[in-house]
Amino acid sequence: MNRTTVFLLILTCFALGLTALAQDNDVAVVVNPENAASNLTIAELRKIFAGEKRSWASAVPVKLVVRGPGSHERETLLKLLDMTESEYKHYWAAQVFRGEAQSEPIVVPSIGMQREAITLYPGGITLIEAQSVKPGMKVIKVNGQTPGEPGYPLQ
Amino acid sequence: MVRFQTLVVSCLLLTGQSFAQASGSRDQETIRLLQQQIQELQDRVETLEEAAADSDSTDAPHPGPQHQPAADQPAEPNQAPIVPAILHESHGIQWRGFGEVDYKVLDQRQPELSTFGFTPGSAGNFYTGEFALFLTSRINDKASVLSEIVFDELLEQRFELNVERLLFKYDLNDHLRMSFGRYQTGIGYYNTHYHSGRWFFTTADRPLVTEFASKGGLLPTQAVGVSVTGLLPSGRLGLNYILEYGSSDTNRPNIDGSELPTDEDNGNHVNLGLFVRPDAIPGLQVGGSFYHDNITNQDLTPGVRLGQTIVNAHIVYVRHGVEVLNEGFLIRHAQEHSQTVFNMPAFYSQISRRLQRATPFFRYQYANTNPRSIFEDVLLRHGPSFGARYDLNDNIAFKAQLDHTMRKGKPNLNGLQLQLAFAF
Repeated sequence: MNRTTVFLLILTCFALGLTALAQDNDVAVVVNPENAASNLTIAELRKIFAGEKRSWASAVPVKLVVRGPGSHERETLLKLLDMTESEYKHYWAAQVFRGEAQSEPIVVPSIGMQREAITLYPGGITLIEAQSVKPGMKVIKVNGQTPGEPGYPLQ
Repeated sequence: MVRFQTLVVSCLLLTGQSFAQASGSRDQETIRLLQQQIQELQDRVETLEEAAADSDSTDAPHPGPQHQPAADQPAEPNQAPIVPAILHESHGIQWRGFGEVDYKVLDQRQPELSTFGFTPGSAGNFYTGEFALFLTSRINDKASVLSEIVFDELLEQRFELNVERLLFKYDLNDHLRMSFGRYQTGIGYYNTHYHSGRWFFTTADRPLVTEFASKGGLLPTQAVGVSVTGLLPSGRLGLNYILEYGSSDTNRPNIDGSELPTDEDNGNHVNLGLFVRPDAIPGLQVGGSFYHDNITNQDLTPGVRLGQTIVNAHIVYVRHGVEVLNEGFLIRHAQEHSQTVFNMPAFYSQISRRLQRATPFFRYQYANTNPRSIFEDVLLRHGPSFGARYDLNDNIAFKAQLDHTMRKGKPNLNGLQLQLAFAF
């Protein structure tokens, strides 16, 4: 075994380890299985979760389903919107008060309930930890990347 | 060579440990989820038991969800936790309330109209300002109703009830959202974004020019009619429009102490606004609006009909706890069958920065009206305001604001306003 081989082996090991940890942190964007969307840019995703984009291309209204404070998905959401928890609450209260949203996003405490809500609402969209995604959930790409791919933007 | 082999083995062990840690954390997560699901199941049982008890104790029919479940939807019992939310959205009314308690100290000798707002009343007064009840109800996916009912404090702790907004809203898609009813006119940024709940304001009051017309403000702040808004195809520019046609029917009280009302006897107005929210700079909004109506100056005999045009331009940045609001207005009154035209400018600039719970702010405002116009009671007023908002929690804020207002032909005004604003 020469030095180059050993060095490459070490690099591979590190890469594998880092990938495993990164995949653990990735958060998937899940929509209703009937939704035709397959990819969103990060800017579009931000507008959707900020309530600025309120309908899909098919004119079906967007229905936001989010996790409660303290969850990894909530942290990812706040990072996406670049807000603190307090700013997020204030922001949505104002959105509803201005009439720019029918209601605040539905808050659910578990992945099972996220799945139920997404199935129930044709325009439903939610963030779920990639490792918790179950068969039957429709995961859409973000900036052309799926969770687990290097450079995936939602963690 | 042995050293290299040791290194390779160590590396493999570390990698394995990394996977093991990931796997371990997954196990812990699984346990946590299982515990959570047990709790959810218990909650579901409780919910179902309560529902069963309710159905036993009353004959009232239970509304069913309007939303038809998808074909692959789980069985009914599994939906129990989110069914209440759906019922609430489909049939219920969502209520929110906003209130305030204020104390204001002023050094004015001759009291002007109103207990708060544009022209404060006598010195050292407590008042409750606006108590707003806001309700929304979703009719279906696209239609909803919104209303804002405000109890305004008048003099001597009497209150009047105002339906500040009552809207039937229909959102066809992102490009066409319609509202029918009483709305706040889309003149500029502030009047579109801020309504009665002062808990939303950084400052203790509205900028002078955007004060409600019913409290002496210069703009026709409310109207009954149709408002259409939406996104125009513009890619990353984020170009939006707002188009309104309605009757503002403004009746504003003079603010110079005479308390004489000015009925503007409006016609129907048209208002067109355009603004951009570019993707490249989240939080930035740049835009303007053009408003036109015909009103009457009834101070003259006989009354003179005026063409009222209000042009607005604004540039606003709100993000990362930073708020920069800049708005300019030109209110133009042109007498019919005459060359007489009054151009009356007004603006405000406001800047604030959130630091943890405290948000210090500074605002400068200016209005300059013509003494021969229907705003003869306002004239030149300008000056700075500064203070701070302190958020005690997510629903309660305390504000302190100092105002210095310079008035043409009258003594300067200095004021201190303390406000406890809350949402519930």
